[in-house]
Amino acid sequence: MAEEGGRSGGGGGEDREDEDEDSEPVEAIINRIELKSRQVEWLLKSAQYAEALKTALDDSPTKTRDETCKSANWVVVHRVLMASKDTDALLSTLESEFYDILMKYIYRGLSTGDRPTCEQCLRLHEKLTEKAGMGCIVRALADKRHTV
Amino acid sequence: MANPLRPYLTCIRNTLTAAMCLQNFPCQDVERHNKPEVEFKTNAELLLNPVLICRNEAEKCLIETSINSLRVSIKVKQADDLENILAKKFLRFLSMRAESFQVLRRKPVQGYDISFLITNYHCEEMNKHKLIDFVVQFMEDIDKEISELKLSVNTRGRLVATEFLRQFI
Repeated sequence: MAEEGGRSGGGGGEDREDEDEDSEPVEAIINRIELKSRQVEWLLKSAQYAEALKTALDDSPTKTRDETCKSANWVVVHRVLMASKDTDALLSTLESEFYDILMKYIYRGLSTGDRPTCEQCLRLHEKLTEKAGMGCIVRALADKRHTV
Repeated sequence: MANPLRPYLTCIRNTLTAAMCLQNFPCQDVERHNKPEVEFKTNAELLLNPVLICRNEAEKCLIETSINSLRVSIKVKQADDLENILAKKFLRFLSMRAESFQVLRRKPVQGYDISFLITNYHCEEMNKHKLIDFVVQFMEDIDKEISELKLSVNTRGRLVATEFLRQFI
């Protein structure tokens, strides 16, 4: 089923998306991420991990093709993911709209090959799959337009 | 099953379960051909995002999915030269007998030690969950197998050396 969606949405739609992305300058996105990063930093200091995760995931630059934006946002998300050992508490209050984007970031974390990151991401992956189900993984695999 | 490998294998099992939604898909370029799209990559829209799952730098697993086929490539842990040689020999032995394994790819993807290629026909002929079980079981056993081989090589080496050096005393 996932393949079906990917096929019908390919081609023309992707090109149009490309034009839209160009209209948003990279600097604006970077600025937004920096602002978010400060906010996340503050939330982490006051140990509000769940809130920090929400802030970090919110408004992620998924549409742009620019790698610097993506890695800048990944740095912020990575900080939050690694901040807390208690994965249950981190995910318990997360709204379902953030599941998909978090799954994509978990897969990004898993591909780094860094041992502590991978361990944490493997734990999170298991918890998130329990909560969000297989559909969440399929969306992370099949969504080629909104990558992280 | 409380071993350190468990989260890694669970993650791979879940990803494979999600990825293994394969359907018959004839080639778009050649009439009456039916090729695994993940190998030929004829069209980007038939491919899904490849996923790399690492446990650490040495152990990783690449899962590439397309509409009618799925490729799982595994890099096995190799702590030293002996393990490296053993893994290479052992996996080569398996790869040469790929036909009897059906889903084994004859040549591993570059940078990996062994690859599986699962097509929609495999999914139709066999149970999907059994296929996934096989891949995960394989990954679980391969480490065990290699450490056992290493132990027996060392034991044998020691015995041979003792026997040989005995003549000098």
